[in-house]
Amino acid sequence: IVKSGLILQSISNDVYQNLAVEDWIHDHMNLEGKPVLFLWRNSPSVVIGRHQNPWQECNLNLMREEGIKLARRRSGGGTVYHDMGNINLTFFTTKKKYDRMENLKLVVRALNSVQPQLDVQPTKRFDLLLDGQFKISGTASKIGRTTAYHHCTLLCGTDRTFLSSLLKSPYQGIRSNATASIPALVKNLLEKDPTLTCEVLMNAIAAEYAAYHQIDNHISLINPTDETLFPGINSKAKELKTWEWIYGKTPKFSINTSFNVLYEQSHLEIKVFIDIKNGRIEICNIEAPDHWLPMEICDKLNSSFIGSKFCPIETSMLINILHRTCPEDDEVHSKWNILCEKIKGIM
Amino acid sequence: MARRPGSQRRRAPSVEPAPRKGREGPDRGVAGRSQAPSGEPARPAGSTASPTSAPQLPGRRADGSAGSPAPPTARQWFVPNTPSPRGRVPGQPHFRLLPSPISGVRPPSAPLLPRCCPGPAACPGRSAARSPPSRSINSSGVFSVRFFRTTAVCKDDVVTVKTPAFAESVTEGDVRWEKAVGDTVAEDEVVCEIETDKTSVQVPAPANGVIEALLVPDGGKVEGGTPLFTLRKTGAAPAKAKPAEAPAAAAPEAEPPAAAVPPPPAASIPTQMPPAPSPSQPPASKPVSAVKPTPSPPVAEPGAGKGVRSEHREKMNRMRQRIAQRLKEAQNTCAMLTTFNEIDMSNIQEMRARHRDAFLKKHNLKLGFMSAFVKASAFALQEQPVVNAVIDDATKEVVYRDYIDISVAVATPRGLVVPVIRNVEAMNYADIERIISELGEKARKNELAIEDMDGGTFTISNGGVFGSLFGTPIINPPQSAILGMHGIFDRPVAVGGKVEVRPMMYVALTYDHRLIDGREAVTFLRKIKAAVEDPRVLLLDL
Repeated sequence: IVKSGLILQSISNDVYQNLAVEDWIHDHMNLEGKPVLFLWRNSPSVVIGRHQNPWQECNLNLMREEGIKLARRRSGGGTVYHDMGNINLTFFTTKKKYDRMENLKLVVRALNSVQPQLDVQPTKRFDLLLDGQFKISGTASKIGRTTAYHHCTLLCGTDRTFLSSLLKSPYQGIRSNATASIPALVKNLLEKDPTLTCEVLMNAIAAEYAAYHQIDNHISLINPTDETLFPGINSKAKELKTWEWIYGKTPKFSINTSFNVLYEQSHLEIKVFIDIKNGRIEICNIEAPDHWLPMEICDKLNSSFIGSKFCPIETSMLINILHRTCPEDDEVHSKWNILCEKIKGIM
Repeated sequence: MARRPGSQRRRAPSVEPAPRKGREGPDRGVAGRSQAPSGEPARPAGSTASPTSAPQLPGRRADGSAGSPAPPTARQWFVPNTPSPRGRVPGQPHFRLLPSPISGVRPPSAPLLPRCCPGPAACPGRSAARSPPSRSINSSGVFSVRFFRTTAVCKDDVVTVKTPAFAESVTEGDVRWEKAVGDTVAEDEVVCEIETDKTSVQVPAPANGVIEALLVPDGGKVEGGTPLFTLRKTGAAPAKAKPAEAPAAAAPEAEPPAAAVPPPPAASIPTQMPPAPSPSQPPASKPVSAVKPTPSPPVAEPGAGKGVRSEHREKMNRMRQRIAQRLKEAQNTCAMLTTFNEIDMSNIQEMRARHRDAFLKKHNLKLGFMSAFVKASAFALQEQPVVNAVIDDATKEVVYRDYIDISVAVATPRGLVVPVIRNVEAMNYADIERIISELGEKARKNELAIEDMDGGTFTISNGGVFGSLFGTPIINPPQSAILGMHGIFDRPVAVGGKVEVRPMMYVALTYDHRLIDGREAVTFLRKIKAAVEDPRVLLLDL
């Protein structure tokens, strides 16, 4: 039997383009007798699972400030942080040949071929643990009708401090049945052994894959924007970037929180109850004390928010229009601004 | 007609389990009579069964209520069947009903209604097959009602889809619905996803049809084999409505997520400030054309044939309603007029070419021509303060402002924003370019604060980026005027008695005629023209 298979590596570091490659291979390639390994790395990005809530999983404000991209992948599982010190591996097989443990064992063999003393073990939850303690890899997968893929991360030299600050949500009072991430203690392989760089490890895993599937140890570099190679891939990447996909696919959730504003040397509490469906505000109840902001103005704010995206930019624009349609006196105007800035802070 | 005594009675038990609720059998149309929802079959004439023995079906009376008159004798209400034109099942007698005093006699088709089919009204896709009961008066002067069968077809067409078996000894997963009850789906289209232990498994529709019921709530737990949903099969695949909704609904469609950095507009925003033609519609102005429901090209998909005439309705979101309201208010309050002029851009272009590198070196900014227009406007506003003023309708006063804050309409991936450059009267070109660049940067990073977009005494909008030749901008309340810039196109013009080709731009000034007279407006615009065509005018204060 002539064994067949492919090892691909992306030349792009754009998370959306690389996720689009996964979609494309999953949708278009016939993997019968021809498994594929895809190696990719991304510039700093946070990637949430298919059914997760970004507000619950990461610090969106910090991400906006730092220019960190947010992507939602199509496989399940939890939230991860990617940067160039992290390798992503995707194992494509037919549905019948789907076997995550086999894939992880292959990765462990590859690691041990570079560093035989390395203590890496897969867990029942398909994580890889270093020295029995530190998570160096997390797994997620997607099963379609005939094909399936299992992808996992591998921490070589990621910025761990940044990772933990990004993956810590500051948003309070969220009630949701979205899939929750399980935080874990992580460590970089480079910290254990400085020879374990990304390049070294990618080559080792490719070699192990080639040996296991008895194919040529040859890594094909691919350009995820090449429409001739992957017809239709650019529209897949485009869809992954849309607000409707990234935020709009969040399962329904509600926020029940409050914040304080300073008024005449005392703090006033403003309560917020918001229901969000498909990323848009379905129900909005912002309760401010009547003596601070007249109730009609609060009501106007509440009703204006309904239907708009749960997003600070959209909120800014909405407030701006509201200003122009209902000019108020300066004092109300500035209170309105304060209130809106606070509200934007919880988005 | 085969009528075997007791045959109907034998059939009765199959009706027993039929659900009671929601049934709207055609006999509801019969003079609003109350009825026994039990599909009690009509008894054949000559049957030895007593017609009053209604409780053959446990717990139910034929008339479904106390105190109704006893059901008539079989002879009274059963009339030998007249072949019905359609839908008749062979061997199934066809009955005609007398309206009163009969109550609650179920039409013969009812016994075959399966448990899953609540009745014709709730049977989507089958409505074509069921026609409303037709009434006719026969010779004996009684109403007769015909019922046409469809139910046997219904029964075979409903499918319950179960959770697929999980891989690798996983025991349970969470359901995430992609479709809702009533949605039409095509075969293999994803109806829901099951998330098990970091794996997302798609559950496709087994055939074309309509989702009838979701048997698990969103986020609910299921095991392999748990029933997930029921699908009523239809013949046809659904029309491709989705693509039509996608461009229309995803208004700022090409936008990246909030945390991402959109590369393409970044370069253009600081230098050119490319806004949409009509500045006073902040967000979602790009899809002004896309949001119109009528021309939904994707509906006429390839293969869908010519002449598709469906419509697509989309509720206006609040923001759009507000924009609409505001624009209309502006139109209704101001007496809006537009005056035009044209500007020869050769000097400005030459100035830019000559000083571009030095400017970049010193200020680390690109020298656009927006600064020329902003400064020219500020100059003209100082010369004509009434254009910088506004009418306060509440107090019937004219408010003259000593400061000049110019709102510049900027198109961002998210939609139109109108940040304000404050106190332009004190700025030079470099200052203006710097502020424009900063505001553009903020807009690109989605950091514009509410204060950045507040106020403004005059607006400049640039439709030229989109290739506009000529146009009438709309005033951005509460202001009194707006300058619209358009595209620069080479045109032959008369210069010193000869024809030359010059890069020309049409400019438009829409103004509130209640406050600003025609002469003032024209003079104002001419001042802008002079200051842009020859910036020395600014230095010389001409």
